[in-house]
Amino acid sequence: MKAAAASPHLDVRNVMWLLAAMAFVVAPHLSHLPYWVDAFFVVIVAWRGWMAWKALRHPSRWLMALLTIGASLATLRQYHTLSGREAGVALLILMMALKLLEMRAQYEVTLSIYLGFFLVITNFLFSQTIPLGLYMLVCVWIFIGTLVGFNRVGTSPTLGERMRPAAALLLQAIPLMIALFVIFPRATGPLWALPQDSRSGASGLSESMSPGNISNLIKSDAIAFRVQFDGDRPPFSKLYWRGPVMTEFDGMTWSVPPIAPAGVVEYSKREGRVDYTVILEPHNKSWVFALDVPGKLPPGTYVLGDLEVRDRRPVAERRYYEMSSFLDYRYGETTSQGALKAMLKIDETRNPRTIALAHKWAAEYPDKRALLQQVFQFYNREFSYTLEPPLLDPQNPYDDFLFDSKQGFCEHYAGSFALIMRAAGIPARVVTGYQGGEVNPINRELVVRQADAHAWVEIWIPEEGWVRIDPTGAVSPLRVESGVNAALGPIGMIPTLVAADPLGVLPRIRDSWRALNSQWDQWVVGYNSEKQRQFFMQFGASSVDWQTLGVWLIGATFGIGSIISAFLFVRDLPPRREASVAAWDRYCRKLAATGVTRAPSEGPLDFLERVRRERPHLAESAAEITRRYIEARYGDGANRGELRDLARRVREFRPA
Amino acid sequence: MVANLRQSISDWIFRARAPESPPVTLVQRRIFILPTRQGYSFAFAVLVLLVASINYALALGFVLTFTLVSMAGVAMLHTWRNLAHMKLRPGRCDSIFAGETAQFAITLETPSATRFAIAVRRRDGDPVYADVIPHGTTAITVPVAAPRRGVLRCGRLEIFTRYPVGLFHAWSYVDFDLKAIVYPRPDPEAGAPPMHSKSDTEEGIPVAGDEEFNLLRTYRAGDAPKLIAWKALARERGLLTKEFSAMASSELWLDWDDARAPDTESRLSVLSQWVIQAERFGQGYGLRIPGVSIPPDRGEAHRTRCLEALALFAQ
Repeated sequence: MKAAAASPHLDVRNVMWLLAAMAFVVAPHLSHLPYWVDAFFVVIVAWRGWMAWKALRHPSRWLMALLTIGASLATLRQYHTLSGREAGVALLILMMALKLLEMRAQYEVTLSIYLGFFLVITNFLFSQTIPLGLYMLVCVWIFIGTLVGFNRVGTSPTLGERMRPAAALLLQAIPLMIALFVIFPRATGPLWALPQDSRSGASGLSESMSPGNISNLIKSDAIAFRVQFDGDRPPFSKLYWRGPVMTEFDGMTWSVPPIAPAGVVEYSKREGRVDYTVILEPHNKSWVFALDVPGKLPPGTYVLGDLEVRDRRPVAERRYYEMSSFLDYRYGETTSQGALKAMLKIDETRNPRTIALAHKWAAEYPDKRALLQQVFQFYNREFSYTLEPPLLDPQNPYDDFLFDSKQGFCEHYAGSFALIMRAAGIPARVVTGYQGGEVNPINRELVVRQADAHAWVEIWIPEEGWVRIDPTGAVSPLRVESGVNAALGPIGMIPTLVAADPLGVLPRIRDSWRALNSQWDQWVVGYNSEKQRQFFMQFGASSVDWQTLGVWLIGATFGIGSIISAFLFVRDLPPRREASVAAWDRYCRKLAATGVTRAPSEGPLDFLERVRRERPHLAESAAEITRRYIEARYGDGANRGELRDLARRVREFRPA
Repeated sequence: MVANLRQSISDWIFRARAPESPPVTLVQRRIFILPTRQGYSFAFAVLVLLVASINYALALGFVLTFTLVSMAGVAMLHTWRNLAHMKLRPGRCDSIFAGETAQFAITLETPSATRFAIAVRRRDGDPVYADVIPHGTTAITVPVAAPRRGVLRCGRLEIFTRYPVGLFHAWSYVDFDLKAIVYPRPDPEAGAPPMHSKSDTEEGIPVAGDEEFNLLRTYRAGDAPKLIAWKALARERGLLTKEFSAMASSELWLDWDDARAPDTESRLSVLSQWVIQAERFGQGYGLRIPGVSIPPDRGEAHRTRCLEALALFAQ
């Protein structure tokens, strides 16, 4: 019976809730923002909380203006821009904090919560995984709970009174949300040009390779791409996913030529066709990955003279493409002398000992096979395969590697091997890409990770053309046969746990989780216009254009809207009349039809007396019905069976 | 001007209907709903989120955007439901003196769960909020200033809510024809009512605190508390009322012609003050104003009758 004359106000607990929600939503950003932004946010939020708690005065306009200008300038100084992903997010968080500080009125709270929704979406620029999605769902839940709190008047709601209505709103919103997500027409490209750093997923291979950079990449568990084979999967040792081909060499670094080699390739043999679909994660470079000799090419791509497949645009979004490759091939026997000569170029002044060794071997073994055998034996004897190779002399790195440290990773072997080949007069080039992968037993999908990054060598032999040689295989055959984890032992925490689990429970959990992620990536994160077309086609939609989707959208909105309204409406209807009362009313109606009408004031027993007097032949059944009604209504109550019995007696009651 | 135009359009759409008889149940067709200003800015924010999601092809951005859109749709239903099926009845509206504030009450009843943040307001008035809890009635009183004597009509009341998220404003109108009687403002300068009793004894009214009373009689409902013989009560002699000799014997007529004042309203103020005083002293009194003559009596009901006659004089 309390009435509050106050209008909605900024209750301390409400303010605290809002601050907590903001802290939650900003938390994932803290790790990649500059420390001063983190500190600024934390201090301002703490200050605002203290202010609300102690009912202190707001800072003056001058101080606010000073803080705003200061924060903007500091951001500009840090990033040299105010747009772009990193700078934009930093600026948004700084301004958000200041907005919280000056917030006084109800509408400013609402504005802050809307800004909070923008902060939620900025998180998705960095990651769209299932855990982050769930975390952000919780954040949205808290925001809506906060909004509910600010819309209560007089009393401050309890935790449940905030979170339950918010949960109800969100849960009831889910069906329509899913419908909108599926049906809302997807554009095929961005509305305007995106800043360079707008999307995440920049990890991957680069245009050059020097000792150390692949072994850095290999520590990443991130997925490079996924493959679904149409038929049988070729053995792991045949899975060489070719990426950038490096022909330029300066004594230390191998790199992609500045001018792409012309794309006319003549094959003398193309067999062993394999068909597969690749889901490529964005890596912001133009190459796409294919096994050996590409057959069918996805639209928008082209193949170079060194069999490198490139897209016309950098891969900035996840891409799906169907491909076919030939694993048994021969090409390049007729390569021109000029082109081959370029594949022999080395800097004679660097790595002198390696070059001298190559010259010596070339003289000793004129037969190329014998020479290769010698080199393999050399590697096989003393070298070891390791993820943590020692630092090399920057002037003569391959001398240092081959004669002193003798420990290296694939780029050391590929780099040094190609150098030896060139010095020995055999045209050679380094190919980087991925080797192998891991099959998920749940969905038979081959997952290739950054950890599977690899480098190998192709040499040119007359009559044979370009032939792949993998010197790492000479040192660690396990790497090529079974993958990097088998060769180096488990890398990272999860593989270590998996290796330590004798029952094999963890691998199954891991595989299921990965399969779930794959579905998520394909159908949620990767739901684009193409997937949308596929989805509607499978329901027999003839065309999937804006009009069709518009009709679907309106239909779904109204359909789901009516169901939810009906659900809410029914819950509020007054309870149905008790079954016993319904039966009794029916009994009275039946009697009334024959002229015995119960007066409103007449109790059941009085009425029964009258029925006995006026309709003696009904006395028995009427007494039975009355007794049961009184018992159900005024006595101990009745169970379902008794109520059904009463209803049956009334139904069979024939007063006429 | 825009505000005026909006007001006239809204007046035309929601034309006043005849006053209704209680109880009024807020059925579906009585409830109107529109987005609030916050609702419109929310729509704008969601639009920006949608554009961002399209541009950056953010699948989870779409999920967020559509969650918020659907949430707003569901919130509309919830806001509407927060008002729907409530039962309204008119509550007490006590009579007051001019210059005071009338409290118009209506009671609300919910057939289901608690209805949070329900507000009631008059046109152009400030809203009064309450949570309407189940199993019982909740009264909301709307204060209205009463500057003049007469009948004060509350007029149509707007019952509205923005709960749970403030994006929508659901409202309904109800007009129970609530009235409060506003008595003339008592004139503090009026002095004591002139004594000219029928027996023509020229006795004045005993001043307050005069302990001389000639008899105690049994308490009658409506006797002023200050006339109750508390000492007698303390001696366990029951509830007795002191009766002063002067009062007991004389009959006081509060006459229009005795109230010397420049105009009608001032006269009524003087008479109002006299009624209050006479009642306070337990004096039996009658009221004589043009067209109305109330024979002498005493007690709360009599006082009300007299004051009402003054309030409604020439109306």
